[in-house]
Amino acid sequence: MSQSSFTISQRRLQLRETLHLLWTTAPGALWIIIFLVLPSLYLVSMAFMTNGTYGQPGMPLTLDSFRQLAGFGFLGWSPGNIYTLLRSLWQTLVATGLVVILSYPLAYYITTCRVSLRPIMLLAVVLPSWTNQVIRAFGWMNLLAPETPLSNFAQWMGWIPPHLGLFPSNFAVTIGLVYNFLPFMILPLYSAFEKLDVHLVEAARDLYASPVKAFWTAVFPQTLPGLLAGVVLVAVPAFGMYVVPELLGGGRSTMIGNLVATQFTGASNWPYGAAGALLMLVATLVGIFLLRRLGKRVGGGEEVVI
Amino acid sequence: MSRRSFKASLTIYWWLLLFFLYLPLAVVVLFSFNSINSAATFESFSLRWYRELFSDSQVLSALSNSLILAISSSVIALLFGSLIGYGLYRHRHRKLGWLIILIYLPIVMPDIVFGIADMTFFVRLNSLTGWLSPGLDTMVLSHVTFEIPFVALIVYSRFVGLDATLFDAAKDLYASPLKRTLHFIIPAIKPALISAFFLSFTLSIDDFVISFFTAGPQSSTLPIYIWGAVKKGITPEINAVGALMIGAVIVAAVISLLVTHRRPRQDS
Repeated sequence: MSQSSFTISQRRLQLRETLHLLWTTAPGALWIIIFLVLPSLYLVSMAFMTNGTYGQPGMPLTLDSFRQLAGFGFLGWSPGNIYTLLRSLWQTLVATGLVVILSYPLAYYITTCRVSLRPIMLLAVVLPSWTNQVIRAFGWMNLLAPETPLSNFAQWMGWIPPHLGLFPSNFAVTIGLVYNFLPFMILPLYSAFEKLDVHLVEAARDLYASPVKAFWTAVFPQTLPGLLAGVVLVAVPAFGMYVVPELLGGGRSTMIGNLVATQFTGASNWPYGAAGALLMLVATLVGIFLLRRLGKRVGGGEEVVI
Repeated sequence: MSRRSFKASLTIYWWLLLFFLYLPLAVVVLFSFNSINSAATFESFSLRWYRELFSDSQVLSALSNSLILAISSSVIALLFGSLIGYGLYRHRHRKLGWLIILIYLPIVMPDIVFGIADMTFFVRLNSLTGWLSPGLDTMVLSHVTFEIPFVALIVYSRFVGLDATLFDAAKDLYASPLKRTLHFIIPAIKPALISAFFLSFTLSIDDFVISFFTAGPQSSTLPIYIWGAVKKGITPEINAVGALMIGAVIVAAVISLLVTHRRPRQDS
């Protein structure tokens, strides 16, 4: 008797807890489902539809847009899209690499400064990224335009032909990407350096390890989780970047995001654009998955904080 | 290389990098005071572009759109996001993997895919039902979607930082859940609510890509206005808008720095 009433009250408690979970999380979760998950599913399904008269998707289902994405058009196959995809990967790789190289000494330097100074230094690094990204790209357009000191210098060195600017170019896109994502790498690297066990480094030096060897054996493994978190924060959004290549790149330096956007703004071929968007989504998820796997393998065990 | 010269070269490197980080912003601010229309030569100081800016009705309506969008979306996101944050905390012992994935989805989703998905969805919905023609309404709906996760994560981490026994004490002291919420829970997480609101506000004001795709013809925000102006051709008026926005960010940063520096003294 008492046994069954106990289980009944326990069941009631459990029900109440479940209801509590539902009413606290369901409204927000539903919001995300309705305004992001459903639209994304619609977009993904659109990739398999036929392009209608006004660029609107319709029946029947087809794989045409993927064929188009692979470069098959009315005039036969052209490598343009493959180049765009490879360029996106290459820009992501170069920008991430440069960001890592630039961030390492800086993150370390901040940890060697007085504790009271560090929040201000971090703020100084992050502050530019709080300004609007269109304005930041515009600033670089001003800096790299023809007739500016930097462009004149590049002409004088013979890097670019006379009367041209450093922008628009692939180089300008790389600069824009590095500039955009530098703080995203410095912050996680800084917190890794802050937790660094200095005794290991001292032990390595005491055992006559060269500075380079001490770095690779004592410093690098300890900062690896921060580095990987930074790579996720830099590489994933860099791959899908739209504003920087659109403003700083010009027609010959487009990335996959521009290819997709054009199908919805100018060219009006939604299924084709949706196929590109699907490719971006898959690439993003694969990238995150691989980096998380790598993070677990190297034993960082630390969750990637976004 | 000796240790001292190593540290000195790092210091030089630090200043060089700061120069790199602030140079584009400085250029925008400098040329906003240029008396001629040129991005290459600075002739003399003038407030000409600011005067033109404040008489430009397009800029003013873009500014008011930006503010309406940021405030209304942040209020809605604060409500739904903090509820999720509380739910996540109360039920943290359960397996909530699906919910976590859902919350991270708006954060990891590429902006451009997010914006296009919402645009096509709203256009389709509008042509089927007549609801929600592209404009401020659709922008608010999308902005709330990407702000909810940040609010939820900030509020959740504040709850985790609180002493769990406080909740039992509050349960004993206050009879009704409503009183407990008003007199205990909300005051306890107030700092998190404030910073979540400001983060949402900043994310919304700053957003270009998602706004660009969900906007209607009458609902340009400041970033959309700047984008259009940059695409049409470089005018120094953009420098003036940009300089004002950069100034606003710096003021906000200084205030946040002062607030965070004052907090420890108040606590002790």
